[in-house]
Amino acid sequence: MADEVGTSTEQGFGDEGLYERWLAIKDNELTVAVITIVAVAIFPWLFADAPFLGDFLQGYRGLASLILIWGIFAIGFDLLLGYTGLLSFGHAAFWGGGAYVAGIFSAEVSGLPLLVVLAGTVFAVLFAWVLGFLSLRRGGIYFSILTLAFAQMLYYMAAAPLSSFTNGENGFTSVNVEPLFGAIDLGAHVFWPASILLGEMLYVFIAAFFVLAVMGAYRILNSPYGIVLNAIRENEQRAEFVGLNVWRYKLMAFIISGAFAGVAGSLFTIHGNYVPLQSLYWTESGEIVIITVLGGAGSLFGPILGAGLYLYVANVVSGFGTIGTLWHLILGIIFVGVIWLFPRGIWGIVSDVRDLIGDRMGGDR
Amino acid sequence: MSLFADLLGVFLNGLQAGAIYILVAMGLSIILGTLKFVNFAHGALYLIGAYAGLLIANEVRLSNGLLQQYGYETVGLDLGFLAALILVPVFVFVIGLLMERYLARAFYDRPDIDQILVTFGLAIIAQEAFRVLFGGQSINFARPGWARGPVMLPAIGNFPRWRLAVIAITAVLVLLVYLLVEYTDFGLIVRAGTRDPEMVELLGIKLTRPYIVMFAIGAALAGVAGVVGAPLENVNPSIGMETLVPAFLVVVIGGVGSIRGAVVGGVLVGMVYAILVGAPLASIPVIGGAISWSAWSQVGIYALAALILLLRPEGLFGSEEVS
Repeated sequence: MADEVGTSTEQGFGDEGLYERWLAIKDNELTVAVITIVAVAIFPWLFADAPFLGDFLQGYRGLASLILIWGIFAIGFDLLLGYTGLLSFGHAAFWGGGAYVAGIFSAEVSGLPLLVVLAGTVFAVLFAWVLGFLSLRRGGIYFSILTLAFAQMLYYMAAAPLSSFTNGENGFTSVNVEPLFGAIDLGAHVFWPASILLGEMLYVFIAAFFVLAVMGAYRILNSPYGIVLNAIRENEQRAEFVGLNVWRYKLMAFIISGAFAGVAGSLFTIHGNYVPLQSLYWTESGEIVIITVLGGAGSLFGPILGAGLYLYVANVVSGFGTIGTLWHLILGIIFVGVIWLFPRGIWGIVSDVRDLIGDRMGGDR
Repeated sequence: MSLFADLLGVFLNGLQAGAIYILVAMGLSIILGTLKFVNFAHGALYLIGAYAGLLIANEVRLSNGLLQQYGYETVGLDLGFLAALILVPVFVFVIGLLMERYLARAFYDRPDIDQILVTFGLAIIAQEAFRVLFGGQSINFARPGWARGPVMLPAIGNFPRWRLAVIAITAVLVLLVYLLVEYTDFGLIVRAGTRDPEMVELLGIKLTRPYIVMFAIGAALAGVAGVVGAPLENVNPSIGMETLVPAFLVVVIGGVGSIRGAVVGGVLVGMVYAILVGAPLASIPVIGGAISWSAWSQVGIYALAALILLLRPEGLFGSEEVS
């Protein structure tokens, strides 16, 4: 497939250099899809099992799936923070709420994975609608505070008054995941040659959602809709004067990003077969904020990079002796440093460097 | 006990629960109203106040953390509670000065989101620094001798002495801040600066100094709240953020920049707590010990905030223009 893309655009650009040809196709939707699929397909192998690299990274396949799940969460969060300019501190409600509803649905109604994800996502969407409706009554900082507060409300609800459903402090343990379409066991390995790269069906299932999430976000961002969201971030008043219903756009952006969080939360339940009460706590909202900002808010791939780095450090590096005990502290210091000096995050630094190299190679000046 | 006595008891418990939030929210609200600076690290100042108060007032045995590993098994000055009540505000005041000068000032001209993010990062750093140094365990903050045990009140009966002390200390501090803001030249300048900073500067008054002092006063209030509030619960690294969220709610309920709003909002939140906790009125814990925060009481304050937002988005005493 990658070759087709290459040849179809080649005709139009004749003898230009490789770099120009790359520039011409790199923002093409098909290119993004192909790159994402290839990256997702080789990622677990590179991360966990590749000779040298895998040993060096000490990654494992479960972590690869988890990174993709948080990646979906981060993409959705960035639609809100990076593109619409709304900082929500309440996304734990959609992530954890989605996870809980998915878990309870799997135990009480049906364990079919697609239905489980659907249930969690529907809850996240409905709850995002209510929470957005309340929180967006005040803009800017108040929005952050209110989302934080109302998400905490859900945490306290799950902790005690609703503990007959949620199992309170112990977390929800009776998750019941059935085979996909009733036939394919998620724990089974993929057929032989592909299993070297992909491992279990569960990873394929999660990866499919990840690719869909990337493509969905890409579609939204490159549509007139995404342009409106950008306009609201740049200057809300101007967008209002142009005649756009800013409030409705913001609410919709909030709901969409809640839906991404709901998908991710449901997948988290299927992945871990368990929903910790912690998944509703505000620290979870804080983590997605850190992931997105460190990675680079306002870019499609920055937050995914952030998710990968964060989870890697949290799960692997935190095991290394003294650094392990200090890692949260170091993270806080790095976070403050990044906001102070590089508001566009790691991806911003990467793309600055890339532009610099691009200028040199392009030879325009 | 008669119904009247029960209600009085709930009322006092509500005042006490609200008192801590009033102190934290007042500082938040002032800083937000005058300097337009969102301080997610305000809870960290509460945390610093609590730990500083603990270490000044008591001698503490550590069971883990870096200090304990390096052989400092007992830390603290054991100077008593009054010393903490005097020293901590001074200490946190200085931290407030430094914070305004070297952190907040760099962010006045940057977007709100950057302010939230950087102070959030700072809150994490503070919390983790305490966790690393003193360990993550809860430490008991012993109440001062003169405030231990119950006191006989007419109609109510036994009531914890310490809770009355909390209410009294808060009342005095609120009064002081109110007088400062409403009846002094300093307060006048700050209030005028909130309305129209350009005009105040044109009158030949430099706003930098009043602002930095105001910021530090807000910080010191959070510090005092830490000293006063910590003996009610145990001290651990996460109490900063746990206090910040309800305090923000109080600010939102009361209206930003309004001292009256912070007080009324704090009392309202405290009352909702107390009423829900005391729903089976017999379960009010009267003598010392941990407070049995029943779960709905937590949910209740958020419901209160939601209701007020729907009816009056700018808060009870807020004005449209501040937002």
